[in-house]
Amino acid sequence: MICLRKILIGLALSLILSGITSGADRFPPPDFVDTEHVIPSPTVPGPRQDIYEYIDAAVLLAALGLSSYLVIRKRSRRALFLLMVFSLLYFGFWRKGCVCSIGAIQNIVLSVFDREYTVPIVVVVFFLLPLIFTLFFGRTFCAAVCPLGAVQDLVLLRPVSLPSWAESGLRLFAYVYLGAAVLLAATGSAFLICRYDPFVSIFRLSGSLNILILGGCLLLIGVFIGRPYCRFICPYGVILRQLSRLSKWRVTITPDECIQCRLCEDSCPFGAIRKPTTNWSPQDFSSGKKRLSFLLVLLPVLALLGGWAGSSLSAVTSRAHETVRLAERIYLEETGKAEETTDASAAFRATGKEITGLYEEASNIRARFWLGGWFFGGFVGLVIGFKLIGLSVRRQRTDYQADRASCIGCGRCFEYCPKEHVRLKNAKEATDKC
Amino acid sequence: MKPRNNNTSEHVRATGSWYRSAIATAVISAVFSVVVCAFILLNHGRSRIVSTDEELELTNLRLEIKSRPDDEQLLSRIRQLDLQIRQQRMNGLDRSRKGSYLLLGGVVVLVISLKYAGTFRKRMPTFSSGTDKSKEQIREARFARWAIAAGAVILGSGTLFLAIRPKIDFLDTSAAGTSWPSIEEINKNWPCFRGPGGLGISAYTNVPDNWDGKTGNGILWKTKLPLPGNNSPVVWEDRIFLSGADPNERQVYCFDAISGKILWKGDVLGAPKSDDEPFEVMEDTGYAAPTVVTDGKRVCAIFATGDVGCFDFNGKKLWEINLGIPDSSYGYASSLAMYRNLILIQFDQGGAEDEKSELIAVDGFSGRIVWKIKRPVGNSWSSPIVVSIENQFQVITSADPWVISYDPAAGAELWRVNCMAGDIAPSPIYANGLIFVIEPYSKLVAIRPDGRGDVTETHIAWKMEEGGPDICSPVSNGEFIFLLATEGLLSCHKVADGKRVWEHDIQEYFQASPCLVGNKLYLLNEKGVMFVIEAGTEYKESAKCELGEDCHASPAFADGRIYVRGIENLYCIGNSD
Amino acid sequence: MAKNNKIINRRNFLRDGLWGGCLAALGVVAGSAARKNKKTDMVWQIDPYKCVACENCATYCVLEDSAVKCVQLYAICGYCDFCPGYFELGANVLETGAENELCPTGAIKRTFVEDPYYEYTVDESLCTGCAKCVKGCAAFGNGSLFLQVRHDRCLNCNECSIAMACPSGAFKRVPADEPYLLKKVNQA
Repeated sequence: MICLRKILIGLALSLILSGITSGADRFPPPDFVDTEHVIPSPTVPGPRQDIYEYIDAAVLLAALGLSSYLVIRKRSRRALFLLMVFSLLYFGFWRKGCVCSIGAIQNIVLSVFDREYTVPIVVVVFFLLPLIFTLFFGRTFCAAVCPLGAVQDLVLLRPVSLPSWAESGLRLFAYVYLGAAVLLAATGSAFLICRYDPFVSIFRLSGSLNILILGGCLLLIGVFIGRPYCRFICPYGVILRQLSRLSKWRVTITPDECIQCRLCEDSCPFGAIRKPTTNWSPQDFSSGKKRLSFLLVLLPVLALLGGWAGSSLSAVTSRAHETVRLAERIYLEETGKAEETTDASAAFRATGKEITGLYEEASNIRARFWLGGWFFGGFVGLVIGFKLIGLSVRRQRTDYQADRASCIGCGRCFEYCPKEHVRLKNAKEATDKC
Repeated sequence: MKPRNNNTSEHVRATGSWYRSAIATAVISAVFSVVVCAFILLNHGRSRIVSTDEELELTNLRLEIKSRPDDEQLLSRIRQLDLQIRQQRMNGLDRSRKGSYLLLGGVVVLVISLKYAGTFRKRMPTFSSGTDKSKEQIREARFARWAIAAGAVILGSGTLFLAIRPKIDFLDTSAAGTSWPSIEEINKNWPCFRGPGGLGISAYTNVPDNWDGKTGNGILWKTKLPLPGNNSPVVWEDRIFLSGADPNERQVYCFDAISGKILWKGDVLGAPKSDDEPFEVMEDTGYAAPTVVTDGKRVCAIFATGDVGCFDFNGKKLWEINLGIPDSSYGYASSLAMYRNLILIQFDQGGAEDEKSELIAVDGFSGRIVWKIKRPVGNSWSSPIVVSIENQFQVITSADPWVISYDPAAGAELWRVNCMAGDIAPSPIYANGLIFVIEPYSKLVAIRPDGRGDVTETHIAWKMEEGGPDICSPVSNGEFIFLLATEGLLSCHKVADGKRVWEHDIQEYFQASPCLVGNKLYLLNEKGVMFVIEAGTEYKESAKCELGEDCHASPAFADGRIYVRGIENLYCIGNSD
Repeated sequence: MAKNNKIINRRNFLRDGLWGGCLAALGVVAGSAARKNKKTDMVWQIDPYKCVACENCATYCVLEDSAVKCVQLYAICGYCDFCPGYFELGANVLETGAENELCPTGAIKRTFVEDPYYEYTVDESLCTGCAKCVKGCAAFGNGSLFLQVRHDRCLNCNECSIAMACPSGAFKRVPADEPYLLKKVNQA
């Protein structure tokens, strides 16, 4: 009985309180009798109209189509170069590099996990179109459409090729980055890819000093090591790599058949050319088989280990979410370990919400990070396992081929091939007679 | 096949001039870009560092001019500095915009010229010597596997490093520590009006009972107060807090308990007021009648203008709010109370029918109003007390006509009793399971605090209707309750039934409320004379000490010390040892 | 040879199967995203009732001249001569002068209308979005001054840097055809 009365009193009081706080004006707006002054309204300039978004999507489609044509059919490095410059100017400096296909991953992921968030259709288009084109033509998006790739490609002046073990090792980072970006987007914490996009601040000509310096350094590195972001960081590139392996048409170094002249060996600044293999000896095969079976067994172990590691980091990774950070700060203040309030904790206290509710919310988010950590860690474990397996499989190759996953279709290798010059009618077909 | 070397070198020589000019352009644009880049960074650095210094100077000058509003030179210096800062900002923005375009242009020219120069330096395709390809590829694959393994180890060790760091577990309620002081800590200090719980009882019995203001005997120090006020000193460990105000300024002072020096003065600036009606308050009450409150981390003060300011122990202002000028006929005087991190303000104004009175709880961290509840009472000058009764905290308020108790956590009303009328200035106390409230010139009422809702009919233990003090709050040792009237009539009543045991007319005027130290009462009269009376079954004066200065505020008690606020000075009374 | 052919055929079959699977997966993504989607783009805006005037809007925008500016809702404004959003706390004299003004860039202009009313307008080219006037107006006035994202300046970044730095979660995505969250005018 007493409890019920308390509840009723509380309800009545909260009604009264809400009346108090919604507030009539402290100083009522005046009636201007003498001057009959008209009270103006604030201006509300609108954002970019929707039609421009659709134009962007159309330009993307046209650029992808043109790029695919130029890489697969026309095989013209110069035309590709011009298209790349156009893409840099349009998608980069004109559209300020946002929204981009790389960041679109996060929007899609967020819309899957957050019921209230809906993705604008243009973002879906930006996400899907390059993937679809890659399934057909290979990484032609990277060739001449992506503005980030374009800016790196343009500063590549003195290519230095990396040893393949360095490439493999560094590329692991891109997978980890993709997993982290997906985890943080799925939990609604942050858009990691957007936050650490090194080149968007160059496109905008303004930004935080740290990101500008990061972009500048990457470009400096890119003068020597071609396309460092594309090869080792880009999370969209990870997806494109896998889809490109399955593409219907592929970029070939030679327009005709490979004569193993070896002239193209050092032509790729991105280390995407695979040399032909000589025949493997039986010992190579047997030792390879043993290793392969060991690694196949190791694969699930790696996945489980990775998953467990990822989940055990939930206390750290969950701090990416602002609610968890707030809850931790409030906890420190409530237990007297922190003396002052921050803006965020003061703002929270002002809302009068229950602190226990905040703690509960933060614990729920941590649980989501725990589960997400399993997937993230498991994904990284699987990637490591598959990479090791992939490096143990012996493949037979007779021709010089562009690696399907790594080749971005820049077209630099075309003019190294004598068959290409024949096609362009620059040289005559070699015959046996000299 | 003829070697083509000669042609090649001729080819190179013929185009040498183009190559050189391309290189020259590259060098010039590289230097240009570096210079512009340095310029932009410098500009950025300047806007960060220099302008911060200037802004700090401007802030200080603006504070200064509040105390010297007619200083023309200072005024023009402020305006000049402000204009300078603004111009620098706009120029800085302009420069950085132009700089970024120039840098872009410089880099573009650099890249184009280098690329053009590169076309002259095309290298013949090379290929590695013809080693056994399969061995090479096996070796490369093995290195790559080790590289990936190394990557995995790096990731693993990074994870390990991060995972073993201490974590915060929200749901662990057994975690030690709170951000509010414990009951023990509160009881060791004098954190609000009339000490812990507002009961007027000193935790320390070793305070002196002998001093002389004229000779300075027994006075450890005295410090002049910059601004006047009727509020009592508040003590937390080695800090004493007071507030003072005049029509223009409101300040909070922090004194060092050992030396008596003012450690800092905090300004409560107050909301801009309209020039039309300057606010005036009754002279006897003053602008700083309410006593401040502290919890060991912050000190909060309220003034007659409705301005509330909160400072940390180092004098930094945490926040300041304004509740509006309270409609209080004698001037607002209710002191502040605190529960955990909430500052409780008994903001009574107008008449009961105006429905303007409120009990407001302000968050000590942020200054935001956490809850406020309307009170069906008129303006009052008593202060709320926070006491723990049977493991539940209650905020007890006394006003015309209701005495109301609230749960301080959310402001829910616990019980109310209709027994007061007129101008209520004495604050309630709690002793021996009863709440005691006084209606001036009329009665003393004892209420049982375990009711719910309107308990006027059921929970009044007894009423003593032979008159009551009009200003001073009572004090009780559990057996007897002592009332002190302004004109000097001290009476002792039994707590059990309110019957008077004795009364004695001291024939002095008192504004300070009596305090209990052990079994002695300390009564401070308007002339600054402290009467020490035995708290027993008959009137017995134990000591009488003169300060030599008028006093309106109640004293504060600490370990071996008494702090008395006179009209002009703060005194620390204690035995030097 | 036949065995190689079989292996190659099997590999091709696997590849084609995966290819088809990927295409189908993309189709599913497209379908589910398109079904849920809004016709218009989403843009960033500040909920003025949640804003705590923390001054982050001025510093965290990727643009040097922040896209967040102070907006004056004249219909709520009290036109007071002692405007607490214009004048500092404890201002001595209610006159225009750097020593009394809250706004560090002088973006608020005070013009006399009729006694005792003054009109306060915000010059956007000078406003930095620092919210000092917002704090004063909200604490002591009617709250007619508040911050809003101006869409002729905002780049509509996918992740708004200010949104990430906002301590009270006042930033939200709103549809582009209703891009402003102005305060409601009390009809009473």
